[in-house]
Amino acid sequence: MKKIEAIIQPFKLEEVKEALKAIGIDGMTVTEVRGHGRQKGHKEVYRGQEYQVDLLPKMKVEMVVPDSRSEEVISALSTAARTGKIGDGKIFVYEVAEAIRIRNDERGESAL
Amino acid sequence: MNPPSNSPLDGIRSAFFENWDPHTVLARRTADVDHIVQAAFDQFLTPVFPSGITVLAVGGYGRCELFPNSDIDVLLLTERPPHNDLTRDALSAFLRALWDASLRLSHSVHSQEECCMYHPQNVELNISLLDQRYLCGDRVEYDALAKRLPKFVSTERQTLVKHVIRQVRERHEKFHGTVYHLEPNVKESPGGLRDIHAIGWLNKLQDSTRDMPDWLGELTEPIRFLYATRCYLHFQANRDQNLLQFDLQESVAAERNLTPAEYVRQYFLSARRIHRSVLQAVDVCETLVPSGLFGQFREWRSRLSTSEISVSKERLHLKNPQVLESDPDVSLRLIRFSARHGLPLSADAERRIVAALPSLAAHYAKPGPIWNYLQEILSQPHAILAMRTMHETGLLAAILPEWKLIEGLVVRDFYHRYTVDEHTLIVMENLLSLKKNTDPARNRFSSLLSEIESVPALLFAILLHDVGKGIDGPTHAMESARLATAIMDRIQVTEDDRPLIHFLIDQHLALSSVMNSRDLSDPATAEHLASRVQTVERLRYLTLMTYADISGVNATSMTPWRLEQLWRIYAIGQRELTKELDTDRIGTAAAHPFLEGFPQRYLRTHSEAEVAQHIALADSARDSGVGIELSRQGGIWNLLVITRDRPKLFAALAGTLAGSGMDIVKAEAFANQRGDVLDSFTFSDPGRNLELNPPEIDRLRHTVERVVLGNLDATTLLASRRRPVVAKTKPAVRPAVYFDSEVSDHATLVEIIAEDRPGLLFDLASTISHAGCNIEIVLIDTEAHKAIDVFYLTKEDRKLTAEEVAALERRLADVCQVS
Repeated sequence: MKKIEAIIQPFKLEEVKEALKAIGIDGMTVTEVRGHGRQKGHKEVYRGQEYQVDLLPKMKVEMVVPDSRSEEVISALSTAARTGKIGDGKIFVYEVAEAIRIRNDERGESAL
Repeated sequence: MNPPSNSPLDGIRSAFFENWDPHTVLARRTADVDHIVQAAFDQFLTPVFPSGITVLAVGGYGRCELFPNSDIDVLLLTERPPHNDLTRDALSAFLRALWDASLRLSHSVHSQEECCMYHPQNVELNISLLDQRYLCGDRVEYDALAKRLPKFVSTERQTLVKHVIRQVRERHEKFHGTVYHLEPNVKESPGGLRDIHAIGWLNKLQDSTRDMPDWLGELTEPIRFLYATRCYLHFQANRDQNLLQFDLQESVAAERNLTPAEYVRQYFLSARRIHRSVLQAVDVCETLVPSGLFGQFREWRSRLSTSEISVSKERLHLKNPQVLESDPDVSLRLIRFSARHGLPLSADAERRIVAALPSLAAHYAKPGPIWNYLQEILSQPHAILAMRTMHETGLLAAILPEWKLIEGLVVRDFYHRYTVDEHTLIVMENLLSLKKNTDPARNRFSSLLSEIESVPALLFAILLHDVGKGIDGPTHAMESARLATAIMDRIQVTEDDRPLIHFLIDQHLALSSVMNSRDLSDPATAEHLASRVQTVERLRYLTLMTYADISGVNATSMTPWRLEQLWRIYAIGQRELTKELDTDRIGTAAAHPFLEGFPQRYLRTHSEAEVAQHIALADSARDSGVGIELSRQGGIWNLLVITRDRPKLFAALAGTLAGSGMDIVKAEAFANQRGDVLDSFTFSDPGRNLELNPPEIDRLRHTVERVVLGNLDATTLLASRRRPVVAKTKPAVRPAVYFDSEVSDHATLVEIIAEDRPGLLFDLASTISHAGCNIEIVLIDTEAHKAIDVFYLTKEDRKLTAEEVAALERRLADVCQVS
C-alpha cells in the first residue's frame, strides 16, 4: 500500500476530487494548509499597507491506495492539479506498513 | 413468584409500531409495572409488614409516564426501616423480584418526616415527590403524607422553584442553549423531555390561586412527537437510548415514510416550541419570586414605558393587547421598542402576539409599508434580540410568509450544524458581533463594517439569502433573489435599497466560489470578480456577508485559512475596481457623446433616468457655462455640477459646501472625452439650514454658480465656518496616504483614509491642486467618521514622479493629522 500526499493549489481541489472519483477513488483526507516551496511568498498591498505573504494557502490531499493503483492515482492527481505555473505543488509517496479498519479490525488492502 | 417475562413489552412494541401512539405505550407499560410491583409486594412484604410500609411511585413512574426502558423510581415510605433479619430479608426479596423482572429499579426508603423536609443536598427527592403516586401498602400512612406534602410545598415553594429554574439553566448550558444539534438528545437537550417535566413541576409549584398559562395543554402535538420518538429509540436500542443518532434518524424516518431531513425538521420544530414554553414558564415563575435588591434593579427601566407599551421587571407588556386586532402595527412597534432598549417581551405579550397571528398574517399579506418598520428594527442596537423574538413568536413568518419555507429546514450533513432558519439568525449575529470584535484576526472585517452605508439593507439581505433553499430551483441563490423581489414589492422597500439587496442575495456565493475555484494570483480572477461585483461599495457588503455566512455554518467553519483567503479576495477585488475607475472607460459606442470617456462605474451607479437627467443638464450647461442640480432625498442633499473642466474646480466646490456648513459624505468627479466635468456631492446639513430656510437653497445654488464661474473664492467661505467641538466618543481613525503609480498608464492613484472633519475634502483637494496636480477622477466615501478618498492625479498630463509623490504624501499626511 502507498500513502499519497499531494500539496495543491486550493482552486484545484474540486478538479482533483473529480479526477480521483472518475477512477474510483472516493476516500481522502483534505486539510487547509499554508506553506511555500521555491515559489516563496509575495507582497500584497491594501490601502498603502504592504504585507508580505510568506506562507501561501494550499490544500493537502492525502489517501492510501493499493500498490497496484498508485501510479494511476498519481497520474490522475498531477494531471488535474497542473496549471503549468510555479506554485502547482508537490506529490509525495510513502510506503504504508499496515491499514486497520477500527470498526471491525479488518487489515490490509481490504481495510482501505 | 414466576420469573417475569418480556412478553408484555413485546406486545406494547407491536402495538406501537402499528399506531405510533406513545401515550398507550406509557400507560400500558406503567400498568404492567404496577402489576409486577403489586405482586412482589403481596408475595414478599405483606406477610412481614401487615402495616407500616407503603410503596410510592415517584418521578416519571409517578406521572404514569414509563417509556419502554425507563428507570423505575419507587419510594418505600415507612416510619420504621427494616430492623431485623426477617424484615431485611423480606425487603431484599421484594427488590430482587423487581430486578429479576428486568425492571431498572431505583429505590429509596424514607419516613414521612423526611419526605416533608427540605434536603439541600438531595433536592431531587423533594422534586420527585411532586409526581408521587400511591402504589400499594399502608393506605393510612400514605393519606397522612398526602395531607402533609402540599403544606410542605407551600412553605418551600420559592426554594424549589429556584432549584428547578437553576436545573433548567444548567442543563441548557451544557447544550450551549440551543435545540439544534446534529444528533440531539431527546431527553436532556433544550426542547427535550426534561423541559416538559420542568414546566410540569413549575406549574405544580405555583400557588393554586394563580392563573397560570396552560403551557402543557398547548404542547400536545410536540409532546406526542417527542414521546413517540423516545419510544422508538427505546424499542430499537432495547435500552434507555435518548440520542437521536444519524442512523436512527434514517430508520425512524423510513418507518414514518419521511426523509430523514423531514423527520429531523419535525423534531426541531417540536423541540423549539417546547424550549420556548419552558423559557416562558421560567420567566413567569421568576417574576413571582421576591428577589429584594435585584427586583428593585429590574424596575428601574419602568420609566421607559409609553402610552402603548409598559416596562415591568425588565419585560415589555402591551398596555392594551386587544389593539393588536385593530392596529396590527403595534406588534412591530413593540418589537422596535425591544430592539432599541434590549428588553425582551413578557410571556404575556408573546402569547398575545401568538394568539393574534392569524389576523396579523392576513393583514401583512396585503402590500404595505412594512420596510419602514423593518429598517428601523434592523438599525437598532439590539436588532438580533428583536429578530429572534419575531422568529420565535411566529411574527416573522406572519410578515414574511416566505420565511416558513426554511423554518426548521435541515441541511443534513456533518458540516451544517444548524437548520436554515437558525443559520440565518446566526449569520446576522456574526455580522453584528464584528461591532464588538476583540479578535485581531477579524479587525479588518470590523473595519469594513464601519465603512458600509446601510447595515439594515445588509441584514435584510442576510435574512432572505437562503429562503430559496425551501423550494426546488436551479440554485437556491437565484430562488432566494426571486422571492426577495416579490417580498420587496410587497413590503415596499425603497427603490434605493432594492438593487443592493437583490444583488447581495443573488451573489451571496460569489466570493466563496472565487475562493474555491479561481487562481487568486491570476489577473483574470480580479477582472472576473470586478465584473461580477461592479463597485467597491458592493464588494464591501458582499465580503461582510460572505464572512458572516461562512462563520454561521458551524462553530469552526471560518478557519484562519479561510479568513485570510476571503480578505485576499476582497483586497484583489478592491484594487481591481479602484484601477478600473481609470482604465475601464465608456468608449465611442456610448449612447451619447456626453458619456464618452466617463468611467464605466458611472453607468453602474446611475439609473437610466439619472443619466438622461445629466445629459439634459449638460446640454443646458453648454450655453450658461454651468449646469447645477440641487436636490434632497430624505435627510441627505445632492449637488450635481456639470461644467468645463478647469484646475482647482473640485477643491473649490468642496470648499463651497464645507464653507456653507455642509458635511460631505460622498463625492465623485469624472471628466469626459470632450472636457466636460461631472462633479457630484452627497452631503448632510447638520444645522438644517436648507430645510428650515428654503431661500437658502437658491442662495447655495447661486454661490456654487459664482464659485464655478470664478466669481467667488471658496476659501473665504470656509474661513467663516466655525469648527464644531469634536465628540470624545468619536472613534479614532489612523490616517493613511497611499500612492500607486502602477495601476494606470497615465495617472497616479492616491488613496487616503482619515478621520472625517468639516473641510477635510477641501483641504485635501486644495493641497493636491497647490502641488500643481490635476484631479482626473475622484471617489469619496464617508462612513462613521471615516473618510475613504480615492484620487487619480496627473501633472502636466503625465504621472507624478517619485519626488513629487514623496512631497505630496508628506503634505497630505499633515492634512489628515489636523483635527
